Amino acid sequence: MSAPSPVPVPDRVVVHPGPALLAGLESGPWLPAHRARFGPLPDVSLDDLLDRVARVGVAGRGGAAFPFATKLATAARGRRPVVVVNLAEGEPASAKDTALALTRPHLVLDGAVATARALRAREVHVVLPGERPRTSVAVLRALDERRDPVRVRVHTASPTFVAGQARAVLELMAGRPDLPVTAWQPEAVAGHAGRPTLLSNAETWAHVAHLLLAGDPLRAGLGTTAEPGTTLLTISREGALPEVREVAHGTPWRDVLADVPDRPAAALVGGFHGTWASWDHLERMRVSRAAMRAEGMPLGAGIVHVPAPTTCPLALTADVLAYLADQSARRCGPCLNGLPALAAEVRGLVAGRDGTRRVERLAALVDGRGACAHPDGTVRLVRSALAVLGDEVEAHRSGQCATRSLREVTW
Amino acid sequence: MSHALRVDWPSCHARGLCHELLPEVVDLDEWGYPLVTGEVTEALLADARAAVRACPRLALRLVEAPPR
Ligand code: SF4
Ligand code: SF4
Repeated sequence: MSAPSPVPVPDRVVVHPGPALLAGLESGPWLPAHRARFGPLPDVSLDDLLDRVARVGVAGRGGAAFPFATKLATAARGRRPVVVVNLAEGEPASAKDTALALTRPHLVLDGAVATARALRAREVHVVLPGERPRTSVAVLRALDERRDPVRVRVHTASPTFVAGQARAVLELMAGRPDLPVTAWQPEAVAGHAGRPTLLSNAETWAHVAHLLLAGDPLRAGLGTTAEPGTTLLTISREGALPEVREVAHGTPWRDVLADVPDRPAAALVGGFHGTWASWDHLERMRVSRAAMRAEGMPLGAGIVHVPAPTTCPLALTADVLAYLADQSARRCGPCLNGLPALAAEVRGLVAGRDGTRRVERLAALVDGRGACAHPDGTVRLVRSALAVLGDEVEAHRSGQCATRSLREVTW
Repeated sequence: MSHALRVDWPSCHARGLCHELLPEVVDLDEWGYPLVTGEVTEALLADARAAVRACPRLALRLVEAPPR
């Protein structure tokens, strides 16, 4: 049986105007408006590009926030590098790349094209999300408007959670099924066809373009010296369209979440591979990759999922786990066996079984033991549920979960 | 230079031969898949190479352990 995503995949999204990437939304997504706003895409040398992205600390959107400059420098050392725009978000609760595709596709493409030129790469690959047709159409329309000095090749990823994983994307580009395979080297060293491959998500490319077209974000007063510039956030609320906001680093979460009408006890930060955080804890934090990582709630792709106050977070965790177990590509033994076992044990906690020890043991058994980070991300979620939802676990064990009667658990 | 054993998970089919050949470093989990429990020291290097060669699925690799 296949478990559906407990959060619907958004192909429609509310995009709020923002200070940089999402400024001037009223002029539309089209190329003439984009060029009128920013002027022509400048030719930038590799050294200049490296210097600029390093100075403002452009980073990836994984939990580790890997520096873009490091990847760029690595890719530049090899022969005939390849540039990849990865729009296959996979994570159902994330809508930021969809928002960019719908409103700012030319920023995303400019970032990749300028980088390809600096690297003397001949090919830019654009990977579209199979489960988000409107996103794909928006990108294709934007590509149609452009005459780029590099070859652009388009691929469409399978609608699965792990299809956006870097190695799965490289498999897709090679014409094989887009399932993750074991990486023996970073893709910036040996990726597509063994060539150095610079693969980033849409948001990272948009930041690169904005930096080249509009200059240093700190000079515009955006961000902090440690973390210049802005980041995109998806506020995903149960029963509402997801909202994408662009905020400067350092913004208090209290301000970001000010118009959430009903505060739940805890929110899911970073999506399905993310961590539970108590609402109070989150509201005391600022939007900062470093600070949030230090508090054990990495910002990752910038998602905050806000369950309805009538939703039991433990039951939601069990639903997410069933979905994640189902999304395992079923090829790596520990992931194939461990995730369903883990999902069943967490379901057991919801049913009132005293199984936290077994959950911890299973988590340790799957952590780090797969071709991709799917088991690791799943374990992160489970461990945070045990750490933050202790009261709920206890309430279920003693048969007193306050919200259980309001939302029936699906078996 | 110390080495570490890495498993190519999609290839490994849990036959457990690696555990028999190199019990010092490879344990098996409850499903029969290898649990690499430590680094491959100089003394174990020859045995580790043998295990890599013997894996029927070519799912084991000896890599240089990252510096810590
Ligand atoms: S770790 Fe899991 S999801 Fe990732 S490739 Fe292996 S089986 Fe698939
Ligand atoms: S010998 Fe190879 S296939 Fe068998 S368990 Fe070990 S790594 Fe897996």
